[in-house]
Amino acid sequence: MNSNEILGAQESVSSKGDHSCSSSVQSTPDIEKMYVHRVYDAIAPHFSSTRFAKWPKVAGFLDSLMPGSLVLDAGCGNGKYLGFNPGCFFIGCDISPSLIEICAAREHEVLVADAVNLPYKDNFGDAAISIAVLHHLSTDARRRKAIEELIRVVRKGGLVLITVWAVEQEDKSLLSKWTPLCEKYNEEWVDPSSPPVRNQSTIVLESIAETDEDTGVVKQRSDNLKRSNNGLDDEANVTWSDSSNIDEHKKTQQEYFVPWHLPFHRAEISGASAAALENGFAKKDDKKGTVVYNRYYHVFVEGELQRLVSGINNAAVVDQFYDKSNWCLVLEKL
Amino acid sequence: MRLLTHNMLASNARGAVTGYPLKLQVVKWSTKEVEPNADFLRGILPKLDWPALVAATHALGLPELLPETPPTDAELSAEGAAEEEGGPLRRLHRALLEIHIEEGTLVCPDTERCFPISRGVPNMLLHEDEVRN
Repeated sequence: MNSNEILGAQESVSSKGDHSCSSSVQSTPDIEKMYVHRVYDAIAPHFSSTRFAKWPKVAGFLDSLMPGSLVLDAGCGNGKYLGFNPGCFFIGCDISPSLIEICAAREHEVLVADAVNLPYKDNFGDAAISIAVLHHLSTDARRRKAIEELIRVVRKGGLVLITVWAVEQEDKSLLSKWTPLCEKYNEEWVDPSSPPVRNQSTIVLESIAETDEDTGVVKQRSDNLKRSNNGLDDEANVTWSDSSNIDEHKKTQQEYFVPWHLPFHRAEISGASAAALENGFAKKDDKKGTVVYNRYYHVFVEGELQRLVSGINNAAVVDQFYDKSNWCLVLEKL
Repeated sequence: MRLLTHNMLASNARGAVTGYPLKLQVVKWSTKEVEPNADFLRGILPKLDWPALVAATHALGLPELLPETPPTDAELSAEGAAEEEGGPLRRLHRALLEIHIEEGTLVCPDTERCFPISRGVPNMLLHEDEVRN
């Protein structure tokens, strides 16, 4: 697939957005299938090998649960939080069979399921967690539905922890490594009166400047970069402050492709990468010696999680915080 | 997949009324021993659908494992309950957490939609035209 075809795929998503009222919120949009599910399936072993650090705030939440709690992890990835509190029992699910295979090999209790449509009965869990999941959902309605599902499956008094990537990254230089997507490609941004328009130059992979986005090593290097480039930081701050005062021309960019660099030696293991390169779904970065996949992200602005839950009347916000470039919310089911 | 998970799973395909309990067809299962957690068993007891759990043990060919009525909280809390081989706590523990369905099928009671269990993992994903509107 060349970049024009990628463009085409997204336009078909755009035009679908116009008819969003007729399609179910539970139907997975193409952009999530192609740039979330398919990518994680292709990078699963490498992704998993980089995912072991536990966020202290998530760990603290899990540690605080009553002994014997049943914890449901919706979008568990490689299962790094499953079994974290040995006094609790964990059941994880993820939409990526490749990631679930990794969890199963570690003897975790897991299944393949969609976080937007959990195949669980109501009120069964004592707690539910959604760690770095909602930012992979491409519409407001789907993000809200995923939250409603988390609340639905826990008992009255049960807690739900949600974390999502923030636009307001601690390492502000990261945003320059991501590829901004046209604002008007999905249902909540689309203006039905105008055809979907896309600046092709914003989505070609060559525009990606940097590599793996959230390892400690990279962070350190980026911190140096940040210190040497205060002007950029100031500019970024100005952009963010606009989010509280939205005007048409300076709406905060929240839709991104975030690159995943799969080292050649990893890529060779799986035939998926060869096929992805073949059809243009992934690109080679010969300088870094990697195959580059793009992952779709909707990064959250301050207050957005609160806005999403504001219409939900069977849960109350009991805690909210910002931690390691994530917005986090703890809900209690009423 | 443990029977605990089976007790929670429901089909959410279009056409399912409650989608619960899923009928269990077992091709292969295994046992893995783990330490009982009395807190967990006492907490989960009131939330279990007991007939569904009993039916699952029958599907496995273990009709003697669980009684027709659930144990009481007092039975699970009794001193030494966790150590009593063949006692109510150990039986519940075995049923919920030590039995693993490796290969089999979960069938929606309302729509007959089949969800495969392969290498211990149920796949509950629906096709595009199966999700509820």
